[in-house]
Amino acid sequence: MSMAPASAAHRPRLLGEKERFMLLLIAPAALVLLSFEVVPILIGMNASFRDWSLVNPQKTWVGLRHYVEVFTDPVFLKIVLPNTFILMVSSVTLSLVFGLALAHLLKRQFFGRILIQTVVLLPLTIAPVITATMMRWSFNDQFGVLTTLLAYIGVPQVGWLSERWPSFIIVILTDVWIWTPWFTIILLAALQGLPKEPYEAAQIDAASKWGIFTHVTLPLLRPVIAVCVLIRAIDAFRTFDQVWVLTGGGPARSTEVFSVYAYVEAFVNLDLGRGAAAAGAGAIIMLAVGLGLYAIVNRAMEVSR
Amino acid sequence: MSKFKSSRLLAGLGLAAGLAALAPGAASAATDLTICYMNHPVQTANLAILEKWAKKQDVNLTKTPMSYSIYLPKITQMLANNSTGQCDIIWHNDDWGQDWAQYLVSTDDVPEIKNVAEGQLEPFFNEKGQPTTVPMATTAGIFFYRTDLVSEAEVPKTWDDLVKVSQKLQKDGKVKWGYVGGMTFTNTFFSFWWSLWNNNCDVYAPAYERDNAVLSKNGWKPMTADACQVQTAEFWWDALHKNNISPPGMSTYSRDEANAIFQAGDAAFTVADSTLLGTYNDPKKSKAAGHVGMARFPQGPMSKEHRSWIDIWGWSIPKSVTPEKQKAAKALLGAMMTDYEGQIAQWEQTGGPPPNSKVWAMLDKTDPVWRQVKGILFDSAHVHDAYYFRNWAVVHKTYSDILIKAVTGAREDIPKVLTEGAPAIQQGAMR
Repeated sequence: MSMAPASAAHRPRLLGEKERFMLLLIAPAALVLLSFEVVPILIGMNASFRDWSLVNPQKTWVGLRHYVEVFTDPVFLKIVLPNTFILMVSSVTLSLVFGLALAHLLKRQFFGRILIQTVVLLPLTIAPVITATMMRWSFNDQFGVLTTLLAYIGVPQVGWLSERWPSFIIVILTDVWIWTPWFTIILLAALQGLPKEPYEAAQIDAASKWGIFTHVTLPLLRPVIAVCVLIRAIDAFRTFDQVWVLTGGGPARSTEVFSVYAYVEAFVNLDLGRGAAAAGAGAIIMLAVGLGLYAIVNRAMEVSR
Repeated sequence: MSKFKSSRLLAGLGLAAGLAALAPGAASAATDLTICYMNHPVQTANLAILEKWAKKQDVNLTKTPMSYSIYLPKITQMLANNSTGQCDIIWHNDDWGQDWAQYLVSTDDVPEIKNVAEGQLEPFFNEKGQPTTVPMATTAGIFFYRTDLVSEAEVPKTWDDLVKVSQKLQKDGKVKWGYVGGMTFTNTFFSFWWSLWNNNCDVYAPAYERDNAVLSKNGWKPMTADACQVQTAEFWWDALHKNNISPPGMSTYSRDEANAIFQAGDAAFTVADSTLLGTYNDPKKSKAAGHVGMARFPQGPMSKEHRSWIDIWGWSIPKSVTPEKQKAAKALLGAMMTDYEGQIAQWEQTGGPPPNSKVWAMLDKTDPVWRQVKGILFDSAHVHDAYYFRNWAVVHKTYSDILIKAVTGAREDIPKVLTEGAPAIQQGAMR
């Protein structure tokens, strides 16, 4: 029996009712993402291929010239990139270690735990620019609370903000101070959700506390740690506030990181084209790093299953 | 509800509606102007004059303060995009004159603009040679000293004097530091540049030239590695590390840190804009209040004469502003320019020389502090405190980085650091 062609009304739709409803739900978020993320990125990418001064925007097409200038700039290669990766690795590592230690401490029941938990989380509630300003004055060589304290306990005088490595260490420690609570919250939640059985089994086997931590807790936390490290590492790559306020990238550009480099090009030199190219160069590098980290995270997930 | 009450209610509503309908008509007579500025003593004082006249001229003046660090990119972006509704009047600085002139209306028809001191409006000229700003005050660096520590006769005349007097005061326990001043980008004026310009030196040769054609003909030759520049860097290196007359962390100081130290009474000398005189003399803010004197800059070994910069800060009007608002803005700025009493009050409050030179003549007769400041700043050789080519901001930052690298590195490396930095200064102008 031959079938009559289906009328338009009965033709199967491309998307079912459920899919259309889901699309409707994500539409507002997608619209915001499109307007404030995708479109500005496209405009920025367009600017990176043009002679786009903020003062007199000619917008002449210059191809890859800005990218070549950025990738051949000795400051970018020898100072900015190493600084960015040093900050990323050291800040993420230290924040993770301190966050894990604090999470362990706060997991226990003791008097005043809630108060301490609140205090520990405070740095996360303060804007990084305020934290950095506070640190800048704390390390002022004349009025600084911390420099005075360090001098009082006999630490030799150091040019905390006027020398490259001391000032860069302050940048790293400020970042650690800001982000440790973030690790603490997430790892504390993960610790509280861990199953009890593996711990009971370890106790029956008379495992030491350190043994339990390294052979039970850490493997169980691995997926959470991996995701935290991935998110935080990508975020650390674009750190700006702390470095700009604390050192301005100085002395003599020696503490400049990727975001500061891009900012100086775009908003101090008013060269939006080259600034956008610097940001694009950073995005390319971060994409490669992100893919590598993502592979590591996937591997960590598989091992923990 | 009774009929009487209903009719009264209706009448009341009708009256209210009538008043509401009239209200926009009444409000529309006033002009709304938004003024964008930086929270600095002299700008705040000048705003007080503008606010006074705004009330008289039926202008609703909305003040929008902005941080210095974002002001230039924010306003440049606004001007380049012809944005409207953000700032009808903007603070303008000679450093940016060449960048913004094309976006600003001419101010040559503002009352008494011709009374601005000769040369001060040049950096703000558009391509037709018309000014694009109305000055609020002259911003000139001046050498401040503590009169309770140093008599007028003992004020340092040379760099050597500055070191000797500072060390004596420090040795006698009268003060912690001799000299303090801002050094980081963009505070170059308060350490490197006043000393550079008073050592017969500059960023490009020929020294003190600001005509781009002349500088270009000379190949934008940097003076970065010249002996006068090396001497300047060595002077600051010694001040920080050998003679110890300045705090070792001064290479990281903006004017905020330097002011904090001077106002805390911890330093005998500083260089800052004269507009900070009022702040330094405010007992609520400064331990040095009542003991602040002003003098000429100490001279370097190669100096031939004292040299000061006397550039202005002004108010400008973007071309994108509607003609009605442009007219209202010019009327307001004109009222400020002709408000002699207001300008005198601003001078007394801040130490910022008045924008209208007619007021100078009035102060000459009555104010000994003014006569002193005028003698230091205006009866002197001059230099513009910026260059006026497109990439000046790039060069300023590059210069600052080179000099800070020189004074924070090894002393014997100073000539090498300066020589290596010279090509970047030259290329910066030709970029």
